[in-house]
Amino acid sequence: MQQIKNIFMRTSKSGLTTLNTFTFLLVSCLFFSCQKELEEHPQAVAAEDFYNTAEEVETAVNAIYTPLRMTMFPNYIATLECQSDWLYGRGSWTPLSEFQGLNDANVTRVSGFWNTFYESIRNCNLVIKNAPLGTDISAEDVARYVAEAKFLRAFCYFQLVRNWAGVPLRTENNMLDPDLPKSSVDEIYDFILGDLLEAESKLPPTQADGGRPTVWAAKALLGDVYLQLGQYEQAETKANEVMESGNFSLVKIANKEDFQQKLYGPDIQTTPEEIFAFKYSRLPDQGNYILWISNHPSTKLFSFDGAYAVHGDATNPNYVHWDDADIRKQLWDKINFGLGPNTLVSSKYIDQKAISQVGAGNDQPLYRYAEILLMFAEANCRVNNTVTPEAMEALNRVHRRAYGLDSQVPADIDFAVANYNVTSFIDLIIRERGYEFVYEGKRWLELKRTGKVDELIQYGKAKTVAEKHLLWPIPVSEMNYNKALDPQTDQNPGY
Amino acid sequence: MMYKQMKCVKWFALLVLTVCQTMIAVGAEQEGLRQVITMKATNVSLAKAFSMLKQETGFTVFYGNQLINDQERVSFNFSKQPLSSVLDELLKEKSIRYELRRNRVIVLSKANIPSQATRMQQQITGKVSDKNGPVAGISVRVKGTNRGTSTNQEGNFSLQASAGEILVFSGLGYTEKEQTVGSETTIHVLMEEHVQEIDEVVVIGYGTVRKSDLTGSVAQVKAKEVNAFPNANVLQALSGRAPGVQIRQASGAPGPSMSVRIRGGNSIQGSNEPLYVIDGFPIKDSPTQINNSEIESIEILKDASATAIYGSRGANGVVLITTKSGKAGKTKVDFETSFSTQRLLKKLDLMNAREYAQFYNEQATNDGVDPYFTEEQVNAFGEGFDWQDFVFKTAPMSNSSLNISGGNEKTVFSLGGSIFSQDGIIEGSDYKRYSLQTRINHKISDKFRAEFSGTLSKLATYRKDSEKGNRGNSLMSAAISSPPILTPYNDDGSYRVLHTSYPFMATDLRNPINYINEQSNVTKANVALLNASIIYDITPDLFLKVAGGMENRDDRSDGYTTTKFYNSIGSASIKTNQFTSLLNENTLNYSKEFNELHRINAVLGFTYQNFKTTYLTASGTGFLSDDFYTGKLDAADVPGIPTSGYAKSVLLSYLGRVNYTYNDKYLFTASIRRDGSSRYSDGDKWGYFPSAAFAWRAFNEPFIKQISFMSDLKFRASWGLTGSQAIDPYTTLNLLPPGKTIFNDDYAGTFAPSTTLPAPLKWETTEQFDLGLDFGLLNNRLLFSADYYIKNTRDLLSTVSLPSSMGYLRTTKNIGKIQNKGFEFGLDAVALDGPFHWDINANISFNRNKVIKLNEGDDILRDNINMLVVNDATGILREGRPVGQFWGYLEEGYDDTGNIVYKDLSGDGKISDADKTYIGDANPKFIFGLNSTMQYKNFELNLFFQGSYGNDIFNASSISNTMDYGFGLNMPKEVLYDHWSPENTDTKYPKISKNISVRASDRFIEDGSYIRLKNIMLSYRLPVQQLSLSWLQNLQVYVSGQNLWTGTGYSWWDPETNFQVDQNSYPLAKSITFGLRAGF
Repeated sequence: MQQIKNIFMRTSKSGLTTLNTFTFLLVSCLFFSCQKELEEHPQAVAAEDFYNTAEEVETAVNAIYTPLRMTMFPNYIATLECQSDWLYGRGSWTPLSEFQGLNDANVTRVSGFWNTFYESIRNCNLVIKNAPLGTDISAEDVARYVAEAKFLRAFCYFQLVRNWAGVPLRTENNMLDPDLPKSSVDEIYDFILGDLLEAESKLPPTQADGGRPTVWAAKALLGDVYLQLGQYEQAETKANEVMESGNFSLVKIANKEDFQQKLYGPDIQTTPEEIFAFKYSRLPDQGNYILWISNHPSTKLFSFDGAYAVHGDATNPNYVHWDDADIRKQLWDKINFGLGPNTLVSSKYIDQKAISQVGAGNDQPLYRYAEILLMFAEANCRVNNTVTPEAMEALNRVHRRAYGLDSQVPADIDFAVANYNVTSFIDLIIRERGYEFVYEGKRWLELKRTGKVDELIQYGKAKTVAEKHLLWPIPVSEMNYNKALDPQTDQNPGY
Repeated sequence: MMYKQMKCVKWFALLVLTVCQTMIAVGAEQEGLRQVITMKATNVSLAKAFSMLKQETGFTVFYGNQLINDQERVSFNFSKQPLSSVLDELLKEKSIRYELRRNRVIVLSKANIPSQATRMQQQITGKVSDKNGPVAGISVRVKGTNRGTSTNQEGNFSLQASAGEILVFSGLGYTEKEQTVGSETTIHVLMEEHVQEIDEVVVIGYGTVRKSDLTGSVAQVKAKEVNAFPNANVLQALSGRAPGVQIRQASGAPGPSMSVRIRGGNSIQGSNEPLYVIDGFPIKDSPTQINNSEIESIEILKDASATAIYGSRGANGVVLITTKSGKAGKTKVDFETSFSTQRLLKKLDLMNAREYAQFYNEQATNDGVDPYFTEEQVNAFGEGFDWQDFVFKTAPMSNSSLNISGGNEKTVFSLGGSIFSQDGIIEGSDYKRYSLQTRINHKISDKFRAEFSGTLSKLATYRKDSEKGNRGNSLMSAAISSPPILTPYNDDGSYRVLHTSYPFMATDLRNPINYINEQSNVTKANVALLNASIIYDITPDLFLKVAGGMENRDDRSDGYTTTKFYNSIGSASIKTNQFTSLLNENTLNYSKEFNELHRINAVLGFTYQNFKTTYLTASGTGFLSDDFYTGKLDAADVPGIPTSGYAKSVLLSYLGRVNYTYNDKYLFTASIRRDGSSRYSDGDKWGYFPSAAFAWRAFNEPFIKQISFMSDLKFRASWGLTGSQAIDPYTTLNLLPPGKTIFNDDYAGTFAPSTTLPAPLKWETTEQFDLGLDFGLLNNRLLFSADYYIKNTRDLLSTVSLPSSMGYLRTTKNIGKIQNKGFEFGLDAVALDGPFHWDINANISFNRNKVIKLNEGDDILRDNINMLVVNDATGILREGRPVGQFWGYLEEGYDDTGNIVYKDLSGDGKISDADKTYIGDANPKFIFGLNSTMQYKNFELNLFFQGSYGNDIFNASSISNTMDYGFGLNMPKEVLYDHWSPENTDTKYPKISKNISVRASDRFIEDGSYIRLKNIMLSYRLPVQQLSLSWLQNLQVYVSGQNLWTGTGYSWWDPETNFQVDQNSYPLAKSITFGLRAGF
């Protein structure tokens, strides 16, 4: 202590000089370290130095799935289903089933879908733009990842164009231009076909990771787009190519539990019927939210209750005229939760070991082999303008499986070619699709595609559909901030 | 950039040199008369003696040449003698009077020589004390002579005086007192602390200043007010105490977070909280680590002249907290303890079971469903179960602290320890804090001093703030929503599942017992704030201070939901967080007075501060047994993905300030700070923050001094720029946050940008202009201050919405402008003096704010609420409108089916977003505080009111519980008794039907004005001296009540905690406190 004191004492004698020296030293030290100190060094990756290796690009591709898979897609399915001839919305979902356009709650909900599709499109564009610039990635890897991104970009635009018609076409070339006018519906479809044809040519026939698109997924989606565009020959070709591949078959079903467990169940990894699906798992925040939307607590089929937000009704003619022997009909339970004794709750998606509301393991089918068969049946019939035995066989396979029969073996319940003309066969296919794909988000878009909206909504729910109800409004989040859009002329009718 | 950098260094170096070379003589802070001196010499000149005195004490002795012959030889040997007796000795028999001035100057002048030589002098002894006990260092003089002494450590003195002479007792911080010598030779004097001392010292950034020399707007809150009633957070104690400062509890939960607005909010994106500085260390958040009893004073810097020295962190004002330090002399021991009981401020008047059943039967009938209950069932329900009584309890709170302080001429110290413990009014919520505070000042040599201050705290809080929510899906919402026809338990003791008990009940409705018993969340934190400095007195006027400090906060939160919670398989989570900030400050301080006319005070410095945060989280779901709690995450069926984070930022600063006072009349202050922050983009990292101020102490002009009732008058004007660091580190970088998705049945990694597009950013700058007036009347019995200010904030960081098709939803730009302007008035008055003493302090502040500019004039919709039936933005930022503007629909009564009719403002025949308009304003017209202290003998009664007038509240809590019919939620009685029916159409509420269309309308806007009796206290000071308890210096006992009365028209729980939007927050408690304060 004394020593220290002495040092202080001594220093003090030459006070001013020491101070000046000290100050200069301090200042010059600071001068050299100043700039360095103010540089930021986050322990994280930045976009500028990313997308260089195959591993990096793969994680960027994976990020395309995240926005879609989370609660968005189950909500999207539920919103579409409320507008079908089958299902009814409860609470905030009710106005969708009134077919008079969307109210505030549903405008908000669908604007979330818009935002999410575009977030995934942005992630696609980031891959498509940056992967080819990667410093340490092979040309094959670039092609494969770009093809996957283009498949998903086409998938998103296909949803957008069917629900909103013309939309701004965000590509890798105009990602950061805020103001972008709407492209026409034709331009969007041309773009989708361009992406899908590239995806079809570059995607592998099998993927090590279940949940990534294969060449077959590209063909299935292409077929669906062609069907939408009325290009039935191409649609038939794509469906046929998938059928001819021999890679896919319908899952054998003996009873309701098989549907619940072997086709839609939480434990299955994949099925021979799966062509493209979003994958979910019993991991925190990685499960399928649709179980929460569909289930009712009293059934205990979902370990986290359920909100029964979208439900059926036993007085709906589709249900009334449904053959009781069809096992699919058993996936409905009558539960009176305050809306009367005829209320139906779906038990299609169940998981009694889910870990949370968003912790159910059930994958979400997007394209199943059953759809390819029905796609083939319709396209074949429309191309040939007659009911061919091949088309009828394709339909019958789906129908037989629903009765627990071997789909390959003719059965008593088969529909006969002789009993149908083109119109009634198409109607039959539409009816079968209704039974087969309920709660998979297909129906409303199918009714719009086939021009059956008015007829079948009237039949199923005895409701008239307002013109404005056919398209969703472009959200405020786009209309207000994209200066290339004119709210008077670019908004969809009625909003 | 390089060039700019070079310039800044040159500027700094030049200033340092100039300051060093021009400075000559003495100056430092005042330690007062109490310091004791040891010096001896033989046959030296008086001038030499004075110069020795200066070396020893820092006091310069001033005198005129004609007054004294300073070459006169003296010899002396002083050993530990007080300054006053040294002076008395040196000046003895010279008819010279001395006067100690605060800034270390002793002025000698001629004393009047009364003809008193013939009088009989006798030895007078006595004791001087104040209400806390004996006082050392009080100067005792015989009026009109140079005879004098000062009190020793025990407060005793003795001197020669004759009867009829007057003894004058004076000392720093005390009102001068005179006592005529009578026949008694023993005199006891009780000194009173200055009631309103104009010459007090005020702490400002990087220094102190005499209150009379202030040019800026600075509010000071003293220990007594800070410690008036028990508070978990020191900021609670500031509420209503200072004009222009709006402080409110953000929630009633124990250990609450506070919201502090000094002269309104400047930022719409960043924090509007002020910067907190504890003993010179700018801390990260609000000062939760410190106990009120450890605080000496709090200064609130409001205008730019005061805050600009904090540069880029000064825009929201600065709160300087000074902890207690010791005084040389007898060691003081202070002990305080209090115990309070708290209970719910107010219960909502909800329906009882019978009313509830009746209500839902009506809803069923209206909605075409059969009534849920028969008439007999309805009548049998009776009162039913009171869920508010079930959820809210009476809860204790206690606070104890012990402070030991003292020291000698070389070292002074203060050592404090405290335990604060508060239980929440919801079982299972609490807040505990154990803290230790130390402050040591040591004089190493005549050139070097060392200072240390440190606070170590341990905080632990169990939280039950499952807030917000709707339809009973949070604890707060469930507490009022739960049906009175149901009880928490089934007959077998298990928890009742409310939502499946009847088919009409909301899916989300949870039995509150789940949250109370089966969910826990505890945060424990260790907080250290350590500050050490070495001070080198280069010359008596100039010192260099090199300070190093560290703030460190380690906390860990454990959350657990048991398997008994409804539908839970058990889930556990742990988050640990470490925050460290290192500070180095190097400042040169100079102060000097020339010719009694010029006074200069200057500071120059360079500081470096860094901030580093790291965190780690881990979780698990699915537990075999609740015994694991968070102790074995590896026992979880499904482990969560661990996450971690890291962020570091650096702030480099150069600062300088000069205060110049001419003749105590004209006061100038100029300051500048240059800040460089790592958070901003290259090229925009550095910013300048200058300020200038002028004050005219008009009272010192002779023509004002003549006005007899006037005792002080000062005009102030200031201008300056301050900044706000509204962004987090790395905001301007294009980072790719990691994520996970699923392929097969397993995780796959993802990297993608967030939905916010990064953009180059710079500081928000606030330009503030302030005009102030202080005046004192009737010997300062009445002190009044008024301020007018305008604050313009530019380069406002503003969220700019992007077209969502970009995949980015928003970006941040320096785009907006916002303005706050207002008046604030403060009044300190001694209403009655004498045996019955009455002090009144009052303040009132008026602030108006408005948005001047937004990106391309685009509105920003905000404050979204999601209450299922209403899912909408409630606020709007629009040019020309205030921040806090409510936005919604206007109601126009009911249609003939009892449904609400909304005003079709757009006239397009339908109700849409286009019909939304201004429906209210969250900004108060004024806020106020009123404190009254009455003393009579040993009793003191204190009343403290605080309030807000003219602010609206959007009562979102009432959406579910007054308008969301058909889900079995309980509601206030008035919904049952005042709703639409065909017979009664002029009602507050519409028809009871689940098909009522509810929108964010003016219905939910309520007047949030209130006046609250924050504290009422009656205390009694035991007459310890009369009781001859020599070991006890003072003892005060008190009983007080907090929040006992509130005058408001607000319908829900509380208008104070629910500022702006009320959405089911933890309600406030009222409390009764018993306490005692003792000094030994």
